[in-house]
Amino acid sequence: MSDWPTAFESELLRLGLQPARARRLADETTQQAAESAAPPADVFGPAHLYARHLVAELNTPTANFPRTRYQAGPVMLSLTGVTKRYRRQTVFEGVNLTVRGGEVAAIVGANGCGKSTLLRICAGLTRPSGGAVRRTRRVGFVPQDGGTAGWLTAEEHFTLFGSAAGMVPGRARSTGAHLATRLAWRPARQQRAQQMSGGTRQKLNLVLGELHAPDLLLLDEPYQGFDQGTYVDFWQQVLAWRDAGRAVVVVTHLLHDLQNVDHVLDLGATA
Amino acid sequence: MTPRPWLHGFLDLCLLAMLRERADYGYGLSQRLAAAGVADVPGGTLYPALLRLEEQGLAVPSWGPSESGPRRKNYAITQAGLDLLAGQAGDWRRFRDGVDSLLSAVPHE
Repeated sequence: MSDWPTAFESELLRLGLQPARARRLADETTQQAAESAAPPADVFGPAHLYARHLVAELNTPTANFPRTRYQAGPVMLSLTGVTKRYRRQTVFEGVNLTVRGGEVAAIVGANGCGKSTLLRICAGLTRPSGGAVRRTRRVGFVPQDGGTAGWLTAEEHFTLFGSAAGMVPGRARSTGAHLATRLAWRPARQQRAQQMSGGTRQKLNLVLGELHAPDLLLLDEPYQGFDQGTYVDFWQQVLAWRDAGRAVVVVTHLLHDLQNVDHVLDLGATA
Repeated sequence: MTPRPWLHGFLDLCLLAMLRERADYGYGLSQRLAAAGVADVPGGTLYPALLRLEEQGLAVPSWGPSESGPRRKNYAITQAGLDLLAGQAGDWRRFRDGVDSLLSAVPHE
């Protein structure tokens, strides 16, 4: 089974590890199997599964080792008494939320309770009927769908969105490609957005929202269509943003997402 | 042998304790764990844990020759590893005593 190390290494690369590190881990893993005088597949199981397991393990701090909580930074978003009405109908009212750098907030609630509307208010795309919104200047917004142009490739999107944020094309493209690998995605050169699967288009959206290194990230269920592995990568990514001192607001209807979240705003309860 | 979920929380502690006793390589550590009656730890669990200790500066590897076959990655505990172990050993004893006292409680009549 000489192709086990090769398969292992290529899966590590696909998961976004640096080539030198993937090579080193593949070499060491082969040697460790040799220690117990067994083929790697017998010791570690299938190469691609062990690669995922190893990457997840390396991202988890040692058990019982208290997570070094990022010191909550400056306020990036603050909502005070925010209300939204359509004609006579109140969608929500009196919503308060403060999110600092290094914190993650989740907006939860049943369908139709105004989660997406509230996120658009956070982004400044929709005006509230009442209340005050203050936000930091550099904001990244990832809508639930749309936001991409069907005839453009991923690279063209990076260039276009980058230039809107004042980035030169080469830097926008390399940054976009780098961010894509963190979501286990390698954009195909010729592929237009309309040819991408729903999950891949959401990855494109996610990369575009982050391209200009915003201080506040607003995400509207951005993992729709992701498979299980990518979904896990997505939450790892959210926690990495948080640990880098950014503020993150995620709209979600999946309650098991909430274990790593600092604030939960239940819109169903306030409506 | 130990149920898997129990081991998950304490494998790092056991590894650090064994490394405090003496430096060792992966396969030797798994044999010592089994001999102590703690667990039969599969390689897919053991080696990621060792890598994690290495990346967090709790243990340092050095490559050494073996009597037969390939060279081995030998791990030694660091000062940071010793400090963490000292703290966690206390946590473990408090936890163990607490569980023991719950398990040894008798029903009230």
